[in-house]
Amino acid sequence: MKKFAVRNIRLCTKDCLCLYVCPTGATDTENSIIDIDKCTGCGDCAAACPSGAISLVPYDYPPQQKKSERVCSAVMNLAKNKAAEERTAENIASETDDKNLARLMKAVARSSRLVSEDLLREGGYMLPQSSISQDLLASLLENPSAFIPAENARKILESIKCNDRVEKGGKFRCSVCFHEFELEDGDEHICPMCHSSKDKLERL
Amino acid sequence: MKYVCSVCGYVYDEEVEGVPFSELPDDWACPMCKAPKSLFFAEDSEKDDVKTEHIDVIDEDMTEIPPLVLSQIFSNLARGCEKQYKENESKLFTELSEYYRKASGNIENPSTTVIAEKLSEDLSSLYPTLRERSEMLKDRGALRVTVWGEKVTRMALSLVDRYEKEGSSFLDNTKIWVCSICGFIYIGDTPPAICPVCKVPDWKFECIEGGNV
Repeated sequence: MKKFAVRNIRLCTKDCLCLYVCPTGATDTENSIIDIDKCTGCGDCAAACPSGAISLVPYDYPPQQKKSERVCSAVMNLAKNKAAEERTAENIASETDDKNLARLMKAVARSSRLVSEDLLREGGYMLPQSSISQDLLASLLENPSAFIPAENARKILESIKCNDRVEKGGKFRCSVCFHEFELEDGDEHICPMCHSSKDKLERL
Repeated sequence: MKYVCSVCGYVYDEEVEGVPFSELPDDWACPMCKAPKSLFFAEDSEKDDVKTEHIDVIDEDMTEIPPLVLSQIFSNLARGCEKQYKENESKLFTELSEYYRKASGNIENPSTTVIAEKLSEDLSSLYPTLRERSEMLKDRGALRVTVWGEKVTRMALSLVDRYEKEGSSFLDNTKIWVCSICGFIYIGDTPPAICPVCKVPDWKFECIEGGNV
């Protein structure tokens, strides 16, 4: 899996060992952000760093964990309630003259938003690369009257590709169970026999 | 007898403290997370005593997602992109989130009572349903979000209840903090060293500023 190095500036103690070991000079920059155009993903900087401030992140993420519909719908019911809590608290905060109440309501609104975001991650919206996120974005394209949703969705879909569906169908062989099978455009990209993920499948 | 805080797990041991739990003043709060006395349970009362009857909620149509939930999905995906160092995409998702935030209607006669009702509903039926399904399907991630969410919701409800009973003066000259990871609300001059719910360090807490939004 191709990777690139990133530096956590909160952990970096400027011991500069990354500068000594980097073969391309990618770690030596004026803004402390590793230059990913130069980074080859070799990982020497991360291994040399005494503060553990550098980590390697992949260009392509593996498909997210599958979620059952029963969990997703329970999550959606909670998210709807959390949304109502958030909006009610926001409305109170903007209407009241009581500064303390306004702060408390802002805190409740923020808290409800954070809890809901977390719930929705466990309800399938973990990765922007997942088919559930991609389908949601695609549905925004169907409403051309609203500019922002359609335009933003189009741009995101252009740069972030789905990571759990086959873009172009064809014949595949699983390198784990040696099962040979056919997949059509848009099918789930896993072995139908042993459920191995797409990196284990070779196109025939 | 020992009493355990249902938010952070702090144990009040009557033998060590010398004061019976029942004799503590009503405004006594958990020294770790400031949860009120009412959120403590007796250790030997065992969790299954408090097993609440809940109605299994009817599943709603998943295709109809209200605008504010869309806003939450997109602000979450914006965070997801940020973690993947995809700055541009994160910005685009944030714009989408803001668009649906504005598109979402206001609440008629908003009141803290309405919020308290919603938070209570979360605790009495919606979280128990999610917990039951997570356990049945062995979905540890969903179980994790249930455990955190219930604690955060309990704390939020106790604060709203307190406001309804005694007004807002308990917030005079003190700050309000929200954990930016799990949403836990904490009242105090400085945030706790680690979040009592999700255990992140204090610098992950946001201070809620000012008066009006």
